[in-house]
Amino acid sequence: MSKTTIKNEQNFVKKKPYYEPVGDEIAIFTAAYKNQLPILLKGPTGCGKTRFIEYMAWYLKLPMVTVACHDDLTASDLIGRYLIKGGETIWVDGPLTSAVRHGYICYLDEIVEARKDTSVVIHPLCDGRRLLPIEKLGELLEAPSSFCLAISYNPGYQSVLKDLKQSTRQRFVALEFDYPEAATEEAIVIRESGIDQSIAHKLVKLGHMTRNLKGNGLEEGASTRLLVNAGKLIHSNVTPVNAIDTAISQALTDEPDMFQAVHELSRSIF
Amino acid sequence: MANQSRQNLLYRIRIQKDLEEITGPALSRHSNLEAIISKIANLNDQQQVFIYQWAQLIADSNAELAAHFISFVPKAFDCMIDADVQKWIDLFLKRYDNYGLGKAIISLEDIDGFADEQKNRGVRCSLQQTNLFLQHFIRGLGGRELKIASHDETYTNTEGLFLPESISIFPQPKQNFTLYKLTAAHLWAQTWYGTWRIQVLEKLTTEYNDQKSLDIFNRLECIRLNHCIARDFPGLNREFSEFEHRDADVVILWQLWRDRAGPLSDPTSTGMDTIKNINHFLDVDLPTLQPYQGEIFLDRIRETMLSRIKQEQIAFQQSLDKLRDENAPKNQTEDDDFVPKQMLEVSEGDSSDGEPSETNFQLTLDGQPIELSDDLKNLAGSIMQDFGEIPDQHMEPLEQGEYSDALQAQHGESEGDPDPDLNETGTFQYPEWDCTRQRFREDFCTLRELVVPPGNESFISETLEKYRGALRTIKKCFEAVLGESRPQRRQPEGDDIDLDAIVNAHIDLAQGKDISDHLYTNYRNQERNVAVMFMVDMSGSTLGWVNNAERESLVLLCEALELLGDRYAIYGFSGRTNKRCEVYSIKNFKENYSLEVRQRISGIRPKAYTRMGVAIRHLGQILQKTHARTKLLITLSDGRPEDYGGYKGQYGIEDTRHALLEMKQSGVHAFCITIDSEAQEYLPHMYGTANYAVIDEVKKLPLKVADIYRRLTT
Repeated sequence: MSKTTIKNEQNFVKKKPYYEPVGDEIAIFTAAYKNQLPILLKGPTGCGKTRFIEYMAWYLKLPMVTVACHDDLTASDLIGRYLIKGGETIWVDGPLTSAVRHGYICYLDEIVEARKDTSVVIHPLCDGRRLLPIEKLGELLEAPSSFCLAISYNPGYQSVLKDLKQSTRQRFVALEFDYPEAATEEAIVIRESGIDQSIAHKLVKLGHMTRNLKGNGLEEGASTRLLVNAGKLIHSNVTPVNAIDTAISQALTDEPDMFQAVHELSRSIF
Repeated sequence: MANQSRQNLLYRIRIQKDLEEITGPALSRHSNLEAIISKIANLNDQQQVFIYQWAQLIADSNAELAAHFISFVPKAFDCMIDADVQKWIDLFLKRYDNYGLGKAIISLEDIDGFADEQKNRGVRCSLQQTNLFLQHFIRGLGGRELKIASHDETYTNTEGLFLPESISIFPQPKQNFTLYKLTAAHLWAQTWYGTWRIQVLEKLTTEYNDQKSLDIFNRLECIRLNHCIARDFPGLNREFSEFEHRDADVVILWQLWRDRAGPLSDPTSTGMDTIKNINHFLDVDLPTLQPYQGEIFLDRIRETMLSRIKQEQIAFQQSLDKLRDENAPKNQTEDDDFVPKQMLEVSEGDSSDGEPSETNFQLTLDGQPIELSDDLKNLAGSIMQDFGEIPDQHMEPLEQGEYSDALQAQHGESEGDPDPDLNETGTFQYPEWDCTRQRFREDFCTLRELVVPPGNESFISETLEKYRGALRTIKKCFEAVLGESRPQRRQPEGDDIDLDAIVNAHIDLAQGKDISDHLYTNYRNQERNVAVMFMVDMSGSTLGWVNNAERESLVLLCEALELLGDRYAIYGFSGRTNKRCEVYSIKNFKENYSLEVRQRISGIRPKAYTRMGVAIRHLGQILQKTHARTKLLITLSDGRPEDYGGYKGQYGIEDTRHALLEMKQSGVHAFCITIDSEAQEYLPHMYGTANYAVIDEVKKLPLKVADIYRRLTT
C-alpha cells in the first residue's frame, strides 16, 4: 500500500498576514500552544478569526491545514478514507490526520456546521491524551508537540442543533473576538483595501450604524470583512454608495425596507 | 345671429325641462339654476349624456341629492378629469348609502378638496408606507430608541418622532419620501446633538418660555444642527440644502440669520450657546420654518424627559449596585461598616472626532475598567444624551427601599389555604432552589396537573382567518425546512453508490470477509427527530391582549407544527404560593391536534402568579420521558418569575435559572420568548445569551413565534 502525503511547503503561510491585535490574544495563543492546549475562537462572522489563525501560523512558523466545515462534513472527511486506485485500495489521510501526523496547525472553521460525529473524533485529541484514533487503519496516532488544534464558532446562532456541546467546549482555551474598536477597524480597512482615511472613517461609521440595527431587522451588522470589501470596490473606482449597496447592503438583507434604510444611511454619510 | 341665440335658448329650456323631470321640484328650488343649465349646455355631448344618466340613477335614490349633483357637476367637470368625476360620484353615493343625505351633500360640495386629493394621490407619500424604513433608518443613525408615530404637529418629545400622516408637498413621490426622511433625521438630530440636554430645557423653561423666544430658538437650533449634520453626514447635508425654501425673500432672511449666528458653526457649540443668541435676534424678522423642520412643544418634552430621567436614574443605580455586589470581594465580614468603599468612576473615553457618542465612556471600579452589558450601555447612552455626562448622583448607591429586587425571606403558603390532598391523582412534589441558602428546599412545592376547560372554537377560525396570509408564509417556510434533503449513507438501496461502503466492501472481499449489502447513498429527507414542549405563561398579568396573542401564536404554531410532524406538547402554568402550583395541560405528546385541543387553546385564561421553577421541573420531566434526539423547552412569557410570598426578584430568577440548568444537564434545550422589554436584564442570566428572544410588540408575537421555532430547529 502506498501513502500519499500533503507537501509541507504548500501549507506554510509564507507572507506575513496583516493582523491588527486588539488585546493580548497573541500572547494567550502562544502560551496555549506551548502548553499543548487546543484553542476555541468565538465571535461573529467576519471579525477576523481566520485571519488571526493565519497570522499565528505565520508567527509560530507552522504549516496550517484549514477545514471549512459544512453540514455534510463527517468524521471520515476529517480523518481519511480508502480510495480505489488502479484496482488497489489505498488509504488517504484526511486533513486532520495529516495535520496530526506532521505536527501542523489544524483549523476547523465553523465547527458547529459539521456533523455531530466530528466533535467526537476530536475529543481525545483535545485533552491530555492528544491521540487520534484511526479506526479503519487500526492506528492510534499520537500528536507531536508541534501539533495544534484550533476551532472557530459563532455563538450568535440561535439554533439548538448548532450548539457546541459542553463536553467539546470544555476542552478548549477560548478566545473571544468581536469587531475591533473604531480606530483599529479604520486602520484595518485602510490597510486591507487601500482607500484613504476619510473614506475608511465613513465606512467604519456605517458599520456601526448597521450594528445598531442588529436584532431589529438585521441578524448581524456589517462585519469588518464587508467593510473591507466595500473599501476595495471604492478603491477600484466604484462610487461609494454603489460599492456599499453591493458589498454591504445586499449582503446583509433581502428585505426592501431594510435595504433602503442601509442605502439611505450610506448616502447620508457620503 | 338672432336665430342662433333663439336655438340656444330652446336648447337650454329643453335641458332644464329634462333634468327637472328627473329630479322633480328639488331642482327648481336651486337659486342659480339658469347659470347651471347654461354651463351644462356648454359641455360636450358625452358629458351631457353622462350627467343625464347619473342624475337619473341618483334620483332613484334621492331626488334632493340628484338636484345637488346637477348643480355641482359643471364645476366638477371644470376642475377634474372625467374619470375623477366618476370617483367623486362614487364617493358621495357611498356616503349617502352609509351615513345619509347630510353627509353625502357635504362630501358632494367639497369638490375642491376632492380634486386636490386626486391630484396628490399619485405623489403622496404616507407614513404607513415609510414607517418601517424610517424606523430602521433612525435606529441606524444611533442613540436612544425613538418611536415613530403620526401626528398633526411635527415634533419630537425625545422618545418619539411625530410626523404628518402623509406628505404631498412635492410633485414627485420620491421627493416627498425624502422629505419624510429629512424631517425625521432633523428631529433625530435634536435628540442626538443635545438640543434637549436637561440644562437647555431648564433654562428655556425658566427664562425663555414665551412663544417668540421659542420660535427664535427653533430657528437658531436649526442652524446649529445643520452645521453638526454637515460635519458628520455630508450626504444628508446636501439633501437638506436641496429641500430648503427657494423663495428669494426667505433665502435672504435665512442667510442673514446664518451670518448673525456665525459662532454656532463651531463644533463645540451647544444648545446653551443657542440660547445665549436668542436676545440678538429679537429685532429681526422670523424666517419661515424650513420644510423639514418641526415645531417645539416645551411642555411635552419636559414631561417625557423628567419622567425618563427619574426612571433611568433608578435603573442605572440599581445596575451599578448589582455591579458592586458582583465584584465585591468574597471574604468580607457581614458587618457593613467595615466593607471598604468600592470606587465606581466614570471617565470619558477618547473621542477621535468630538462626536457625541454613547459609548465614549469607561466605567471603572477601584481603577479597573468594567465591561458593561449592552443593556447598561444603552441606558448610560440615554443618560448621556440627556446630561452630556453621567451625573454624580447617578453614581451613588441607591437608597435602601427602592431596590425591589432585594432578597426577601421566603415564607411558605399563605395562611388559610387548605393543604391540598397529596393523594389526589396528578399531584406532584418538587424541590425549589433557595439561593439565599444555596440549597434545595426539598418537596417545597406541590404541583397539580389540570386540564384547561374547553373554550369557544370560533376563536380558532377567527385567528386562522385573521392570519390567512401570514400562515401561508409560515407554512411555506416550514415546508422549505422539510424539503432540505440530506444523504443517508450505507443504505441497502438508494440514489447513488456510497463509495466509502464500496471501498470497504473491497477490503472485506480481499480479506475474505462477508460483504455488507449497505452500499448506497439515499437522498431521502431525513426524519426530524425533535420533541418540543411549549410552556405558556398563564399568570394574571397576561390578562387582555397578551393572552390573546399567546392563544393566536399557539394556533399558528400548531398549524405549522402539524406540517413538520415534530412531536409537541403545550402546557400552561400558573400558581399561587408553593402549595398551589399548577400546570394546565392543553395538548400532551400523545394527543393529536384535535378539536378538543383547539378548544383548550381557545380556553386559555389568565390565572394567578408565575412560579416558574417548579413548572420547568415538571414539564421538563415530561419532556425527558419522550424519545427524541433533540428536546426543546420553549417558554412563552410576559415577565419575570413572580409569586406570592417572596418568590420574586433575585430569588425567583435564581430558582428558575437553577431549574433550567437541571434541564440542560439532562439534555433539554431551553428557550424563552418574551414580550417583557426589560427582559435583557435577567433573561441572559437565566437562559444564556443566545437562548431567548424579546418581541417588542405583542401584536407581532403570533407571527414571530413560528419563525423563531423554525430558526431554532434548522
